[in-house]
Amino acid sequence: MLRSDQIMGTVEMVQKENLDVRTVTMGINLLDCRAGTVKKTCKGVEKKINHYANNFVQKCDEIALKYGIPVVNKRISVTPAAMVGAGFEASDFVLLAKSLDKAAAKAGIDILGGFTAHVEKGMTKSDKAFINAIPEALKTTKRLCSSINIASSQKGINMDAVAMMGETIKNLAIETAESGGFGAAKFVVFCNQPGDNPFMAGAIHGVEEADVVLNVGVSGPGVIARSLRKIIKKKGRENLKLDDIAEEIKQITFRVTRCGELIGRQVSKELEVEFGVVDLSLAPTPKIGDSVGEILQILGVDDVGAPGSTAIVAMLNDAVKKGGIFASKAVGGLSGAFIPVMEDAVLADAVGKGALSLEKLEAMTCVCSVGLDMVPIPGDVSAATISAIIADEMAIGMVNNKTTAVRLIPVPGKKAGEIVSFGGLFGESPIMEVRNVNKSDRFVAWGGRIPAPIHSFKN
Amino acid sequence: MSKQLVISVMSKDRPGIIADIATVIFELGGDLADLNQSVLGGYFSMILIVEFDDGITPEDLLAGFSHIQSETKIEANIKVMEDSLETEKNKLPLETYIVTAQGENRKGLVKIMGDFFYSKHINVLDLVTTRDADLYTMIFQIDLSHISSLKDLRQEFELLADKENMELVLQHNDIFMATNEVGTQLMSSIEN
Repeated sequence: MLRSDQIMGTVEMVQKENLDVRTVTMGINLLDCRAGTVKKTCKGVEKKINHYANNFVQKCDEIALKYGIPVVNKRISVTPAAMVGAGFEASDFVLLAKSLDKAAAKAGIDILGGFTAHVEKGMTKSDKAFINAIPEALKTTKRLCSSINIASSQKGINMDAVAMMGETIKNLAIETAESGGFGAAKFVVFCNQPGDNPFMAGAIHGVEEADVVLNVGVSGPGVIARSLRKIIKKKGRENLKLDDIAEEIKQITFRVTRCGELIGRQVSKELEVEFGVVDLSLAPTPKIGDSVGEILQILGVDDVGAPGSTAIVAMLNDAVKKGGIFASKAVGGLSGAFIPVMEDAVLADAVGKGALSLEKLEAMTCVCSVGLDMVPIPGDVSAATISAIIADEMAIGMVNNKTTAVRLIPVPGKKAGEIVSFGGLFGESPIMEVRNVNKSDRFVAWGGRIPAPIHSFKN
Repeated sequence: MSKQLVISVMSKDRPGIIADIATVIFELGGDLADLNQSVLGGYFSMILIVEFDDGITPEDLLAGFSHIQSETKIEANIKVMEDSLETEKNKLPLETYIVTAQGENRKGLVKIMGDFFYSKHINVLDLVTTRDADLYTMIFQIDLSHISSLKDLRQEFELLADKENMELVLQHNDIFMATNEVGTQLMSSIEN
């Protein structure tokens, strides 16, 4: 048996620090569901998802009971739907969306990701039809999440797609105005979108993946926050340096990752499905004590957004990667710290105080995963301005060879400072001010592509 | 032909006990198979499994131990093993769990837990207890291979915890291995 202190340390982590497995996501390849008609393709999609996922939730719950570790979310990701339905009209893609939604409901899944297209270099006619279908698809479904990859370090930024994204986000918000523009919260724009990310809204089952794969997202930031509080209390702040803090984060991440991998591999074994990766990302929830922002406060900034915030996020992100990468046989996905404004109560609070601005948030995204996530903005911000914000964020990802993403919610009829609430895991926040609106229209109007950076040419 | 003896040794702790005992075993031609040793409250205790030629008897060993020159007496118990030691038997069962039980120190806490496990026919594989001021901590490693409903057992643990005013936590052994160990034993239940 292990030493008593090791056992009690683990018990404390599980019981008092609320260790959990944040998500187990089943990725399913749907390319073999393509058939001669839209109807047959939709039927094939439903059949395949139901075949693999019919006891997925039950198995996750059984393993959670066996190990005494909750599996908080059980999700499904699928092959980018634009590929599954290549050649479809916009209305056909809406039918495909409904089939995906139906299959998710039957499997007992709350969110399914993969209503996605990859257009970083160019768009086909079908891709354009797909993008045009997104507002209607997300309005008429409950569980579907959508994403578009419009940039990559290898191919550059597709500025025609960037322009379409601003319009799409505006339309999504307007189509779902009665729920505060919630449709936009289920849509994310990517640079370097990974094919094995288990976290929503950007989860997809990449075409490079095996037929069916399980990916796991580890426990949230709460475990790290409580562990840091404990070590600071035990050793005294005056006796610790930031490298000690980084070491503590590494060690906790190691333990958290091992736990996630254990559970994921067990579910995978039970379902006879290949295990994919562990995503090390710290994904906050609106729940008190489950915040990345809280870690920043513990480490010394009174409000998120104050000078020093970017440096802390950089250290946190790095320590999480270093701790997790040795703990798992296969690390992938996004693997870093998320800073989604609405989903993190401390970040939302900082927006309310005026401490966290969009510009500072953008700076922080240079050193963490993923990007401008769950940011509510005034409903009257123009599509072109939204596109320009997206272009900036894509450039960060493209040049730094990392994933960046944008999930902006232009809340219809609301101004900066007003509160928007989606409830549950989507959280609430004051609406963030967007400065310099309507000053980027000429830039967005260029279209074409921003070429890939010179350091991407490595062949 | 050979046989295996299980030897239990206890003495007040001092430097050199292991050397003394190992010397007696070596001189009688013994081959050590397995050993577990600990010191508790200043007392040394050790349990060993040793393979000897058939001609060696427990009395030969006891005589050897009695000739050890020391101020502290070495007490020993020796039995001939009925089944030979098999490596497979040393492996933990797949459904090995750890129960941690903490409560304000009082008489009978170990008995409460022991009775509970006995009533469920649960075998305790290992047990460590510590007392820190008024807090008594027990850590049981148990085999739940024959338990049909883990859900029911967890509920019974909750009832016991409420009744006895203790904090009881039941976790699979693999969780502790995964979060504390880097090595081959990790995820044994998956690899098996």
